[in-house]
Amino acid sequence: MKRIILLTAAMCLFAGSATAAGWSVSVDDRAAALNTQLKGNNGYHADLARELADIATEEKAQHDSDVARAFMNMAEEHAAQAGGSK
Amino acid sequence: MKRIFLLAACTAMTACAGHVASTDISELDGVRAAIQKAKAAGAERCAPALQAKAVATMYHAAHEITDEVGSHPDEDADLIATALKAANQAYAKAKKGCSPEVITLEGVFFETNSADLTASSTATLDRAVKTLQKRSNINVEVAAHTDSMGQAAYNLDLSNRRAASVMDYLVAHGIKASRLSAKGYGETQPRADNGTAAGRAKNRRVELRIK
Repeated sequence: MKRIILLTAAMCLFAGSATAAGWSVSVDDRAAALNTQLKGNNGYHADLARELADIATEEKAQHDSDVARAFMNMAEEHAAQAGGSK
Repeated sequence: MKRIFLLAACTAMTACAGHVASTDISELDGVRAAIQKAKAAGAERCAPALQAKAVATMYHAAHEITDEVGSHPDEDADLIATALKAANQAYAKAKKGCSPEVITLEGVFFETNSADLTASSTATLDRAVKTLQKRSNINVEVAAHTDSMGQAAYNLDLSNRRAASVMDYLVAHGIKASRLSAKGYGETQPRADNGTAAGRAKNRRVELRIK
């Protein structure tokens, strides 16, 4: 029983980490990397990625780190769809 | 008891991982409708910045409205108004119609009076290959332009050959020919003054026009 509890707890922890990818990298650094990656790309997904990254940075400044990471994750998903720089 | 504790712990950890709030709330009904209307009119292609602002602000508003820590009705109203305004502007712009998305290939050069690419052009073209690989759902026209020096007919022919040369490079590096077409516009579509050297340099260019 203990093993099952430990395993489940570990899986929960992993799921949490995976959902908020990039725990070890700051939101500000991720936003800067995203802006570099999307330089010159003015498509919809690139614009949306930048807007979401701005919100993430704003939330981070207000010390709402979990929400900041969530917005940053979303920004990075759209950056991936944008196809990078042009 | 253990199971209940475990379930509660998992729920708490998932919550701590953070997520963006659902936009499916009554306060955002008007914004969602406006964004959908703009999208249907082609705003993602014709007014990408405005549409992106509307969507991102809607998510931000959803977060602020559902945030359990503090209530800021004025801020919520501002975000809703901003999202709505951007969506309506995106719709208006899309309805007017839009020109196709154009990627100018900065750094693509040819030998003088030739369609032979210079060696320095490959870096830009390789980036274009990567972009086309990532955006595998788009087809593009390779459009080449010259300045107005020389005869118009010669420039048109030269630009046709240059467009074909770039297309050949893209195909040789893995982009399907069926996704590409090549067209030369000669000196007919200048974007700067042909009376100056700087202007002529801007006019000699190659673009990818997304269809």
